[in-house]
Amino acid sequence: MGHATASLASGVQRTDLDFALIGHQESWRSVSDVLAVLRGAERTRLPDAEIMEIFPWIPPRTICNVEVASATGAKARGVYIDCFIPPDHLDSEYVHDNIGRVRAAAACAIKAGARIVSLGGFSSILIEGSFDQLPGASDTIFTTGNTLTVAFVVQGIRKMCAVEGREICKSTLLIIGASGDVGSGCARCLAPFVKRVILCARNARRLRTLAAGLEADGIEVEIATSLEQVQYAADIVICAASVASPSLQLSRIAPEAIVCDAGYPKNLSPRSDMPGARVFFGGLGQIAGGLSFIPDFKGVLNRHPFPDVAHGCLLEGMVLALARRFEPFSQGRGFITRDRVEEIETIADFHGIHLAPLYNAQGPLDTIGTSKTEGHCWSSSGSMAAPGYVSKNFASFSAGSTGLGARLSESEESA
Amino acid sequence: MESLVSLNGSEPSVCNSPLSTASIWQDVLAQAVTGELMAATNYSALATICDNPEEVAEALEHAQGEHGHAAAFVAEGRKIGVDVPSNINAKYWKRIREAFMRSIAERDFIACLIIQEVMLESFAVASYSRVGKVAPGSLGETFAAIASEEEGHIEHALDILRSDRAKAPEPFDEKLYQLHLDIMTTLTEMVAKECRHGQCDLCHGSCVKPSLSEVGLTTAELRGASLQHYLRTLDMLGLPGEVTLQWVTQLPV
Repeated sequence: MGHATASLASGVQRTDLDFALIGHQESWRSVSDVLAVLRGAERTRLPDAEIMEIFPWIPPRTICNVEVASATGAKARGVYIDCFIPPDHLDSEYVHDNIGRVRAAAACAIKAGARIVSLGGFSSILIEGSFDQLPGASDTIFTTGNTLTVAFVVQGIRKMCAVEGREICKSTLLIIGASGDVGSGCARCLAPFVKRVILCARNARRLRTLAAGLEADGIEVEIATSLEQVQYAADIVICAASVASPSLQLSRIAPEAIVCDAGYPKNLSPRSDMPGARVFFGGLGQIAGGLSFIPDFKGVLNRHPFPDVAHGCLLEGMVLALARRFEPFSQGRGFITRDRVEEIETIADFHGIHLAPLYNAQGPLDTIGTSKTEGHCWSSSGSMAAPGYVSKNFASFSAGSTGLGARLSESEESA
Repeated sequence: MESLVSLNGSEPSVCNSPLSTASIWQDVLAQAVTGELMAATNYSALATICDNPEEVAEALEHAQGEHGHAAAFVAEGRKIGVDVPSNINAKYWKRIREAFMRSIAERDFIACLIIQEVMLESFAVASYSRVGKVAPGSLGETFAAIASEEEGHIEHALDILRSDRAKAPEPFDEKLYQLHLDIMTTLTEMVAKECRHGQCDLCHGSCVKPSLSEVGLTTAELRGASLQHYLRTLDMLGLPGEVTLQWVTQLPV
């Protein structure tokens, strides 16, 4: 049997696929790495120019089998399907072509017999507002995975606040991309606990709707359709915009602001001038039971400085598969509530899938153990002591018995 | 059969066309005519190993159809004032022809269908479709129409191949992989950015590839579209996408 056909035998049988993950590469560097794995170590890498010419022609398809293990010992098996969207086509100019690619990838997942499909990165953004675009008439369930992404973004903010000793109740929270599913979900989860929230997005109508809902709960809200309109310097920033490349330049933020870049592709421009800002990449979870790929794409498909880390959107499908809950947990735009976030966190936690250790472009944020939480309204729980695995779930947000915890509870009740 | 086209090859002639890009089209047409003539001879050879009279008739009908396509391309050349040469013994085409004839010698009907209908037709349909979009007037229309015709007759072959694969997937996939290494390597070399192993024996002057951009084509586009069509055809046969993607990424550049 030839080299390439040999992998047929080692592949997962099509009839027992628990999940499929649909994704795309965020840079030409990662495209090159994926193709290098496919070509095999014995062959030279394809020249960059060659890759950029050929890559856009590859039809969406499975590129590897995936196995995820629960902390309970259970396992779920699936596939990773790449849309092969060229990294420089992650833009509104190519929206129709990209939706076509996501549809074709979805058809691959259905054909493969996946019971649940998570939509990663831009594929989720493209489809979250129009699930009817996906192929119908199948038993395959689709989820955007956005609820677990929101959970990990919020956990990350909470962890950074605890580590940095920030009083979240005195903070101004800026959410960029607030009208999107992840941005609006973060707003619903965090707004009740901050002093003021600024919602920034291009779509003013959707912003007003979201703001009205929050204001009805007594939350001080400002809306802005561009960063230039933002009036208050934010202490906490969540970047959840759908941008084609890391291009966002934050201007009006407080010195030493906590900044969560939750975008895929990343939102923040490497040229951003944010003196003292504590930037981290958000929305990532780590699988205690392990994650494996056949062929071995470890560190290629999940390019993080820690093992077994993946984006929340992809993890949601794996979590639901491990829990044997084949249901469209996250669909549509604007339906992510704190209850739903808490629910998916609880399921993920049960299977040993937790917030990943925090890191940014410079590397891991080695801050665990240097927490300055005393005297602040956001108390870190004992689980913070375990490097890389933060807290329990969203419930611990408001479950503190201290005065500070009680203040959070009050906020929740008033909400 | 109309004897517009010689199977034995013809000498390229000087281009006297008023169309400024005629000499480029002359070389593009030379590849197309040669491909069609080779397909015609392949189908004729296939008829000799068919057991079923209906299959024999169908193979001969396809052979005739491919001759017709070659004639149509030659006629299009005349319209723009160029004589279109052909040479099925040109370097790349000869290698493909020899591989096909080995399968004929082994009376391997399935291998012949894979070479002709899956591999060669993928390149023909995808390339003709691209050329059809940019070529002027009736030249473009002819390319587009022939692409559509070629696509039409692939379906029946795919039914036969799917049925054969269903009986024994592993040997089928292994056979396809071995043919892929042989035929697809040659085809991708044909549409590589440059001819690394010297002239293709069909261009009437220097290699046409660097000039393709003058008529709105690139080798990258032709190769990309052809490999895309090939991958989709393999998908239709039921081969796992992750495996066929590996095959394609391992082709020479």
